Amino acid sequence: MNPADTQIDGIVAPRRTHPLTPLLTGWRVLAGIVAVVSIQNIAQLVEEFSVRRALIALAVLVGVLVLSILVSALSWWRTTYEVDEDGVTLRSGLLTLTRRSAPRDRIDSVSIERPLVPRILGLAKVRVEVAGGSDSHLDIAYVASGDAETLRREILRAAQQAQAPEAGPDSAELHSAGPGTGAPEEAAARSPRSLDVDAVRSFAYDGVTDGEEIATVPTSRLLHSLLRDLGLLIGLAVTIVWAVAVIGADLLFGDEGLSVGALAGLLPALLLAPQMLFRRVESGWGFVARLTERGLRMRRGLLNTRTDAIAPGRIQKIALSQTLLWRGPDWVAARATVAGIGEEIGETNSAGSVLPVGTREELGRTLDCLMTPLGTDDDLAAARALLTSPARSLAGHRAVHPLLWIKRRTQAVVLLPHAIAVRRGIITHSLEIIPRERIQGVFVTQGLLGRALGAADLSIAVAGASVLVEGLPLASIEALASELAVDAACGRRYGEQETWLRPRRGLPQEPAGAVAA
Amino acid sequence: MSTIPDPLGGDAAAPAPAAPAPDTPAPAVRLGAEGLKPVSPRLIPARRLAAAIPCAILLAAAVGCVVVGVLADLWWMHLIALLPLVIAAQWILLTGRRVRAIGYLDREDDLVVAKGLMLRSVTVTPYGRVQSVEVSEGPIQRRFGLASLSLSTAATAADADIPGLPREEAERLRALLAARGIDRMQSL
Repeated sequence: MNPADTQIDGIVAPRRTHPLTPLLTGWRVLAGIVAVVSIQNIAQLVEEFSVRRALIALAVLVGVLVLSILVSALSWWRTTYEVDEDGVTLRSGLLTLTRRSAPRDRIDSVSIERPLVPRILGLAKVRVEVAGGSDSHLDIAYVASGDAETLRREILRAAQQAQAPEAGPDSAELHSAGPGTGAPEEAAARSPRSLDVDAVRSFAYDGVTDGEEIATVPTSRLLHSLLRDLGLLIGLAVTIVWAVAVIGADLLFGDEGLSVGALAGLLPALLLAPQMLFRRVESGWGFVARLTERGLRMRRGLLNTRTDAIAPGRIQKIALSQTLLWRGPDWVAARATVAGIGEEIGETNSAGSVLPVGTREELGRTLDCLMTPLGTDDDLAAARALLTSPARSLAGHRAVHPLLWIKRRTQAVVLLPHAIAVRRGIITHSLEIIPRERIQGVFVTQGLLGRALGAADLSIAVAGASVLVEGLPLASIEALASELAVDAACGRRYGEQETWLRPRRGLPQEPAGAVAA
Repeated sequence: MSTIPDPLGGDAAAPAPAAPAPDTPAPAVRLGAEGLKPVSPRLIPARRLAAAIPCAILLAAAVGCVVVGVLADLWWMHLIALLPLVIAAQWILLTGRRVRAIGYLDREDDLVVAKGLMLRSVTVTPYGRVQSVEVSEGPIQRRFGLASLSLSTAATAADADIPGLPREEAERLRALLAARGIDRMQSL
């Protein structure tokens, strides 16, 4: 490394992850082996049980454990991460050296995940999200929780520098805060009295305590919202009915109580239902979103917690949804599609859920932070009107043919000056909003039925997602496709960043550290 | 026909009427077929040649089914023998129409690709969104002087590929996509 490089702030010299890492990863290998062995031979194991065999098995297990920890330790010893002027680099591998890197100008956001066991040990996983397809992220696992926060700042500072030359005048201020923005100094600069309170808050919210509060989901509202979620309730009811039916049938017609077959039939229900419920609870528990200089920072989780940041400039699509029983208290859930954040990683628990269940005000603030202007007089009112009014009453493009009567009533496409909104559903209202400058291309398909009815399907592609609108008449398709094709062709030129649409509420200009100093 | 999506094959810059469609069922005409350039007709013999081996396998399967049917006296084996024959027949008979249904047009700002007989699809991909362009030719295509061009964008749904371009046309399109892509470079 050149001596000059050390002048650039945001550098973390090559270092290893936390020494407890091999314990965590090694234990997992052992658990996997035990699970596979015992599931395959459980009957035989129970039959031939004896103390001697048990001791031998125990010894073997301990041996395997030590071995796997040793292997993990070796791989831990060979794994280093580094933050430098090029971005984040992760080197690993025992025999073949792998080097994965996240170029700093492509770093989207940095999230911190704390799965249950590492969390108990005070460790965290730092995930660097890179713009691109799915699976484009770099995991630094595991580092101490406090270090994770510092590391996140360092990585973001390096990424910020990459974007600075193009980002316009206001980013220079952001920079001037310099290296003094680290978490410890910031905390130390505060008065001792508030320190305790801050420490508690920081612990409870995993460090998401700075910046303006955008949304907080109280536990009571979360549980209440689950009780009012028809889809979830129906899912649970089906599971319970299924379980009762299986057990009942087995007791009535079976010979000797519960049989293995019945248990096998119950297994999916017993696994899926709690998982479904748990995921929903997990994705909203202790949710807090705050506006920081890096975008919207969110914290969530009960057992496994995570903090993510979403910068408004990366949002490709925003989806709002409101089930039937959420209309009374006027709660709305919001999800965002961000290029690079894989949706497949724990569907509901991923960073995409920017508001698990929010009130009208919270939705307004969230949209202000994330959504680019729609081009109407009052964007929030427009979005709410699109979400809450029946689809058939909206003035927009919709299916016209009488044979497509379901589509006619449940689906409408509204072209706004700066966005396209697709509204679906009667019981659960959902609204998908795509900023027109993000459209990557349009795609029209027509099947035999469509040709007979004079209708076709339009799909609007953005990075990482596409929205399919079915059964629109050809004239609507023509109007939409031509308009959107022009958008797709002329949107977001690299050279014209100052003309990009930005959310109404900009990012705070001064980092929190500057105030303390 | 006025109800044909003309912008898909015509001038991109013309502002389209934003008003919702009038309630008239459009006549059943092929979507986005107007003004598009066809691909090389040499693709038809190329595809037929490429289909020769699978066709031979299908024929053998049909003959096998009939033989088994006669020997084992299973009448329904004759019906099963029809299946590979039908598949082979539609390959041979519809190849020409399928190839003629492929069309593309490099417009000022974007590339339009239309294909499909029964399932018709029209893709509009702006040059500025294209991330990579690939020109490829297989042994059979090379014999006929053809190449196929495929391009990918950040959104998988907006990817497009054009089979059976004359080689020089494929090269021209590749150069054009690269040049215009740099001109109109856009971010995500």
